[in-house]
Amino acid sequence: MATKLKEVDAIIVGLGWTGGILAKELTEAGLKVVALERGAIRSPEKDFAVPIVRDELRFVVRHDLMQNTTRDTLTIRNNPSQNALPMRRLGSFLPGEVVGGSAVHWSGHTWRWTDLEFKVRSMYEERYGKNFIPADMTVQDWGITYAELEPYYDKFEYIAAVSGKAGNINGQILPGGNPFEAPRAREYPLPPLTPILASEMFTRAAKNNGYHPFPRPAANASRAYTNPDGSKFGACQYCGYCQRFGCEANAKGSPLITVIPIAMRNPNFELRTYSWVTKVLKASDGKRVSGVAYTNLLNGEEFEQPAGLVLLCAYAINNVHLMLLSGIGEPYDPVAQKGVIGKNYCYQTGAGATLFFEGRHFNPFMSAGGSNATIDDFNINWDFDRGKHGFVGGYNVAGGFNTALPIGYRPVPRGTPQWGKAWKAATAKWYQTAMNIGASGSVMANRYNYYDLDPTYRNAFGQPLMRMTFDYKENEHKMGRHAAQVVNDIAKSMNPTRLNEATVRTQWTVVPYQSTHNTGGTIMGTNPRDSALNKYLQSWDCHNLFVVGANVFPHNASYNPTGPVGALAYRTADAIKNRYLKDPGPLVPA
Amino acid sequence: MGAIAWIPAMLVGAVGVAHAGGDPARGEKLYEDCVACHPIERSVHGIGPTLYGILGRKAGEMADYRYSRALRDSGITWTVEALDTFIAEPQASVPANRMPYAGMPDAADRADLIAYLKKVSKSSAP
Repeated sequence: MATKLKEVDAIIVGLGWTGGILAKELTEAGLKVVALERGAIRSPEKDFAVPIVRDELRFVVRHDLMQNTTRDTLTIRNNPSQNALPMRRLGSFLPGEVVGGSAVHWSGHTWRWTDLEFKVRSMYEERYGKNFIPADMTVQDWGITYAELEPYYDKFEYIAAVSGKAGNINGQILPGGNPFEAPRAREYPLPPLTPILASEMFTRAAKNNGYHPFPRPAANASRAYTNPDGSKFGACQYCGYCQRFGCEANAKGSPLITVIPIAMRNPNFELRTYSWVTKVLKASDGKRVSGVAYTNLLNGEEFEQPAGLVLLCAYAINNVHLMLLSGIGEPYDPVAQKGVIGKNYCYQTGAGATLFFEGRHFNPFMSAGGSNATIDDFNINWDFDRGKHGFVGGYNVAGGFNTALPIGYRPVPRGTPQWGKAWKAATAKWYQTAMNIGASGSVMANRYNYYDLDPTYRNAFGQPLMRMTFDYKENEHKMGRHAAQVVNDIAKSMNPTRLNEATVRTQWTVVPYQSTHNTGGTIMGTNPRDSALNKYLQSWDCHNLFVVGANVFPHNASYNPTGPVGALAYRTADAIKNRYLKDPGPLVPA
Repeated sequence: MGAIAWIPAMLVGAVGVAHAGGDPARGEKLYEDCVACHPIERSVHGIGPTLYGILGRKAGEMADYRYSRALRDSGITWTVEALDTFIAEPQASVPANRMPYAGMPDAADRADLIAYLKKVSKSSAP
């Protein structure tokens, strides 16, 4: 029997970036907040100091900071005609399971998504007509604008120590930055990271091809920094262990060294680790939630924690899973195209080339998480005419390294045997001489890409696993072909000794790692018929429930999601503090 | 003392004076490079050990911080000179120590930083 605990003002489910931001903001507003986190607590002092942190086996192969799939995983299929099977081992994406969440092991790439995403349907229809967007592409406007989000982007960038170069301050285009970015109010808090040889070579080549390269903005502090909350950052040491690792220099913008310790010092805050939330409990009136049910993973003890507010801040996939398990909102049905929970799951696509230059020494073991140069000429550049190519969305192209691991990173020219003497000789010969150019592409929502509960497989708590149905559609194929062509043209213009050309991804598979950028499932929007949440990320069904994370994105862009995830979390915090607490109820009339 | 009298006035600025003894106020600013890992309170360690009372301490002597073997075995006592050498290029000074810091090449910066450490150690000594 579950033990019923004393009511608190707010529960936060999952303590990563969004949970950490809300924990800090709401405890400072005087609320008693309890955070329930599945994972353990890790500290930079004990777990990320050199040499413990430089452990490829522990952090990369054994997924030390990530979701334990023996307890809960997803079933996966490409389309509704297939039988979905459980993903027994993490592959394509790596949800964090630790205090700090995926933001402990992210690389820090921090972008500002623009109105090209937020107004996707209206902008494309206005320019290309109603028939340009295919009938099965269920993209919709988000109900927010870039201008509304700008101050929150700014806030997040200054908290997370983002290093970069502005390309557009209040409409003035500045040299060295991204000329296509939407106007920002001020410069980044820190100058760009020091470029590495690969990013310098890419920058030159991109310029020679008529493109507009700029240093990628990343929450890797380019020098020692104290953020507006007083959190201290060390300077990035270009150690080469960024993605999938905690930071040994306290240089990575992570909630573990910023918002979470601030919340922890506040007597209004309590963190319970190893706490697995199995259900959000609905109040008897059906218009509110009353708290959550959770299990202590260490001893199996079950609890009911009542609360005035419930904030789902778990990994994007797990937020959607919890909504489906709790029966809040109508589950999405792709055949009838009714319901909203599970709708518009999106991923990302891409195309990458490896270039080999005999005689060059790239020193791939030295890089920051964000030390690459990028072009947005085919991404947020609205002057790029998609009409000719027949696709919606875009892709950015980048050259450089991020976490080229000593064991895992083995670039060899295509045609090299995959093992044995010849492979050994080739890996020794080419290791120092290789660099990458990669495109990261958007994925537009499709009627048949969605989540629901699996009819067969169950997790350790006896609950149905989440089922993911996903594949790339014609739109992604067209864009992928275009991206591969651009990547290969740039690569060839650099005259490499050998070139592994970029190829288009046509079918998605869960096995190799691709990106941890899963979006959608509980999307935000303008009305309850086609979205789960309003623009403050408040549930249309239960007004004291907020669902925060990339699960609110109605489609996925080419950019990494954390910029808008952080900005939206700060915006939700403001909406709760300044409006909801004064007058609890729907913040937007249904 | 007369020997320095000929130095043009524009060079006899704060830097010149600070270099002789070190300017702790400027050193406090420079300590921003260190503070993300090295707390300055007694017995409070971060990714790196506390630097409270560092002057005069033996390298690797605090029992509640897990040092690298290289530092423990270095035999260093943290005098002003030893700190100066170490901070200039930590890996060259004590090879295989674990501090992920590239070093502070400017001698005047180091003098100011050490002046700050000295001041903090003195003013907060038990």
